[in-house]
Amino acid sequence: MTMATDMRSRSASPGFWRRMLRSPNGVVGLAIVLTLIFCAAFADVLAPYDPSKMGTGGRFLPPGGEFLLGTDEFGRDMFSRILHGSRITLLVGAVAVGISLTVGMLVGMVAAFRRGWIEAVLMRGTDVLFSFTETLIALSFVAVLGPSLQNAVIAVGVAGIPFYARTCYSAALVETSKPYFEASVAAGAGPARLVFVHLLPNVLPTMIVVATLGVSTAILAAAGLSFLGLGAQPPTSEWGYMLAGSRDYINRAPWLMTIPGLAIAITVLGFNLLGDGLRTSIDPVERR
Amino acid sequence: MWRFLGTRIATGALTIWVTTVLVTLLIHAVPGDPVQIMYAQSQGTTPEQIEEVRRSLGLDRSIPVQYLMFMERLFQGDLGNTIRGGQPVLDVILERLPNTLVLACAAMLIAIVIGVPIGFLAAYREGSLIDTGLMILAIGGISMPHFWLGLMLLFLFALELGWLPVSGNGPLNLILPAMTLGLSNAAIFARLTRSSMIDVMQQDFVQTAYAKGLPKSLVLRRHVLRAGLLPVVTMMGLQFAFMMGGAIVVENIFSWNGVGRMAVEAIFQRDYPVIQGFILTFSIVVVVVAISIDALYAVLDPRIRRS
Repeated sequence: MTMATDMRSRSASPGFWRRMLRSPNGVVGLAIVLTLIFCAAFADVLAPYDPSKMGTGGRFLPPGGEFLLGTDEFGRDMFSRILHGSRITLLVGAVAVGISLTVGMLVGMVAAFRRGWIEAVLMRGTDVLFSFTETLIALSFVAVLGPSLQNAVIAVGVAGIPFYARTCYSAALVETSKPYFEASVAAGAGPARLVFVHLLPNVLPTMIVVATLGVSTAILAAAGLSFLGLGAQPPTSEWGYMLAGSRDYINRAPWLMTIPGLAIAITVLGFNLLGDGLRTSIDPVERR
Repeated sequence: MWRFLGTRIATGALTIWVTTVLVTLLIHAVPGDPVQIMYAQSQGTTPEQIEEVRRSLGLDRSIPVQYLMFMERLFQGDLGNTIRGGQPVLDVILERLPNTLVLACAAMLIAIVIGVPIGFLAAYREGSLIDTGLMILAIGGISMPHFWLGLMLLFLFALELGWLPVSGNGPLNLILPAMTLGLSNAAIFARLTRSSMIDVMQQDFVQTAYAKGLPKSLVLRRHVLRAGLLPVVTMMGLQFAFMMGGAIVVENIFSWNGVGRMAVEAIFQRDYPVIQGFILTFSIVVVVVAISIDALYAVLDPRIRRS
């Protein structure tokens, strides 16, 4: 039963919330992320206008007044578009990271657990994919599948797999060499028990931190693809796409550029800060 | 040292080989008929012409035969012709690659010149207000989308102030794209340098140096800086790959005539030979740079040099 206590003390790390709430980064990050989730969940209620309805107001109305964040080249309300955009952005981040995390963890844990040639093949393959760089993988995927938001999300998700696989592999490898794990193997635990009861809960804290930071990378990458026209297509109120459209009116309506950019930056900052806070709270040794 | 480099070169060669295979398969992964799709945008293409293209791309053969054909042509320096315009893909790429490399190198220089001193200063003053301030700045920098930073620099320096040209390929045109790419990465270098320096400052050999009575400036210069910069050097390879990726976006903002801009145009035009050429070029450049930096690292780090 020492195994059980060992695990509890690790995964529920005493004082986690106390440390989390004492880290300024974590608190600010958490506040930003919760606000975003709130905006995304209640976008329909919060948005004063239909985000894709043209001619809601005049064209290029500056921020302030009836239209809080102004209107765009089609007279659409920017505030409503930004609110609805938060929904897309969070969904993009979650799905892309979901793909990277699921496949990456599977590869990493199997490699660390099975060892031998399976490990060699999986990890060398990961090394090769890793040196392709995420951008190139994402771009190749979009080149094959064609430009669309859905394809961009898949592309970003797949591109992230090598990194998650590597991280999970090293975290799992550390666990497999610990006495409790060896004891469990000696006690005759089956592969399912070893992986799901021992390995998974112990690599999870590391992977949660990586995934939180990863959401910001994924959002940036997907917004970048949309910015290039390789992701979200009109009339979506996706932030990267909105930013790309603002280029033609940069002199006339600079707020069309500043607002979506700021929205992306704040979102990414929120997840970065939250990830930072989580890291220092989960692993007190990594205080820096 | 040779063992270390040998492994790196082998992985690099493997990467490039896998790229050639993937690039051949890429065209088959396209949903539908790639040749039809490629010509969907140009009117008046006859079925005979389409068959001709299919033959010239070797798409009427089996995949292994296609791969061998592709490799045979590759060794002769032939990457095929562009669908739009029919120029040799290799010429199109070689014409633009120097622009991308110049941009990436200039950005790398900016990132290092700004990022490393900031990281060093923050580490030197660890826990102080300066440290906190600089690190807040760095996390803000990391969160800044470079395409947004690019647009804002363009707006401010080219349109509002009129100091720099909006787009083109002269030396003055390099400033804004290089700043865009460099500033985003400076933040990463700053954070990395800081944590690496702090690690080194706590090492025994640094404590020993102080104990010997060496002045602080000498300890920092001779012991901390040298050891602390090693992880930064290792990261340069990965950073260069980021720069190449970031260049794709930045080139499009500033109409910088590099391979990234070419690749995005090719994706829109479904110009598969150009896309294949781009992917191959990109991975070769990234692999060659990564190996060069590993070699530099091996020379700099006595632990590897003497192993």
